[in-house]
Amino acid sequence: MLLNASAPSLAIFCKVVDNYGDIGICWRLARQLCHEHGFAVTLWVDDLASFRRICPDVDPQAARQVVQGVAVRHWQGQDGVYTAADIPDTVIEFFGCELPPSWVEAMAARTPRPVWINYEGLTAEDWVEGCHRLPSMHPQLKLTKHFFFPGFNERTGGLLREAGLDARRQAFQQDPAQAAAFLGRFGVPPQEAAYRKVSLFCYPEAPVAELLRAWEADATPTLCLVPEGVARAQVEAFLGVPALAGGHASRGSLALRVLPFVPQPDYDLLLWACDLNFVRGEDSWVRAQWAERPFVWHIYPQDEHLHHKKLRAFLQVYAQDLPALQAFMLGWNGAQAVGDWGAAWRALEAELPRIAARADAWREQVTAHGDLATKLRDFVCELGQAQENRV
Amino acid sequence: MKPAKEIRVGNIIMVDEKPFIVLRSDVNGSSRTGFTYKWKMKNLLTNAPLENVFRGDDKFDVVVLDKKPVTYSYFADPLYVFMDADYEQFEIEEENLGDALHYLKDGMECEAVFYDGKAISVELPTIIARQIVYSEPAVKGNTSGNVLKEAKLENAIEAHQHTIMVPLFVSQDDTIEIDTRTNEYKKVVRN
Repeated sequence: MLLNASAPSLAIFCKVVDNYGDIGICWRLARQLCHEHGFAVTLWVDDLASFRRICPDVDPQAARQVVQGVAVRHWQGQDGVYTAADIPDTVIEFFGCELPPSWVEAMAARTPRPVWINYEGLTAEDWVEGCHRLPSMHPQLKLTKHFFFPGFNERTGGLLREAGLDARRQAFQQDPAQAAAFLGRFGVPPQEAAYRKVSLFCYPEAPVAELLRAWEADATPTLCLVPEGVARAQVEAFLGVPALAGGHASRGSLALRVLPFVPQPDYDLLLWACDLNFVRGEDSWVRAQWAERPFVWHIYPQDEHLHHKKLRAFLQVYAQDLPALQAFMLGWNGAQAVGDWGAAWRALEAELPRIAARADAWREQVTAHGDLATKLRDFVCELGQAQENRV
Repeated sequence: MKPAKEIRVGNIIMVDEKPFIVLRSDVNGSSRTGFTYKWKMKNLLTNAPLENVFRGDDKFDVVVLDKKPVTYSYFADPLYVFMDADYEQFEIEEENLGDALHYLKDGMECEAVFYDGKAISVELPTIIARQIVYSEPAVKGNTSGNVLKEAKLENAIEAHQHTIMVPLFVSQDDTIEIDTRTNEYKKVVRN
């Protein structure tokens, strides 16, 4: 597909720090701004190999390519030389990744100066509401960047959510044959497909071994689907062999299967196919909310336990009336001691129907004020129509 | 050039070749994506207020201004009066004091900052000790994680009495150390 030369131009800069979450979010944003909002998008990525794992269309050797209508450029460091002619109408730096100095100087030299957005990480902490859309004057150049924060209410930028998502999800979830066929791709036999199905995606710090033991001893059969490389040591301890894709074993009530790393669209199917999803970071956390199935979030660990503050802020808005989910998520993230994981699991299990029943209301609550890409587009238009970025 | 994370309330920074005084600084964010510094500032040439967000690594030229040790003396509505060792008095407008108002105490030592020969703000010591005048007792059993509670600090000016978040074990009448750069509790001062 060719890029539309007359469309407003926009560049997104993405530095891959945390495996696939950064590029996962940027790729969703890039596609949505391109396909739904008519921008000619160029996505600059420093790690094409990671990008390829979530989007197999990507050629990791290509300096320039067009993928699904989005121009993709390999961002090869800070030493590039750019002129005002290289600068698009809008520039988005993702998670405060530092743009090449020559690019920033070219931005200041462009007439009119581009709209410059700093796209921040998602958190439910209330300070975000006071920083969303605020300017950030460049200390030396005549340039103003604006901060844009995703979030859960109308005072923030909302969440990424593409058009048509619900229809696709509902079609999948209402057709058991689709889910069975999807799971069959990974060798899941019909007997296991009828179990309670759980996807498991987490950082290495999660108490996976304790949870697996709880499922082993549970009365209900559980099928745990874990992507290759996730919780490797604990999964290997359960399997008794290296945790490679295709590996599987059963013990007690638990059947565990190792899945290959799947592209982004298939990960959605996995979330939709499961009864409970353990997710991590930001991208899969948001996708789990759109899956409308109960989920447990493993948050990216940070120094001085700052992630616990972020977790508690989310629980405050999401799980105030779900005590077992709160306790389980705090324990899963090491924010609260869990003496008996079997008991914690049973409490969560008893609460799962309530969690599932309110998933739809949560989606409506969060999306009532619009989706992120639309709000970002509106903000970019607003800034672009302003007389000039004032400093 | 100084990164934003080292700039304090009361500092004068140059932005677009104009001098701004930083009146308030709120730090938030994460070690994952970097901290953000939300500053309330004022253009010293036009007096126009401004609110901006910066990343901790954004670098600014800090204007080195004349400073003089002073002590807070009294409030002469609408000005705050400070006095140096020679008993010379300097009046500073409330809006230029920013967060310093939260911590003013009679006889408090600080540094007056001068621009064009006029005292325009004060810089507080980085760490100050203040007594807690009110805080709820700790809730029994609620001790997990980083749970905090509000504590009201002693202050010379009632209208600017300030609360900060402290750990549950901190009690009313305790004296605590506060980092005036971040407005955060540091520790209890044990006698």
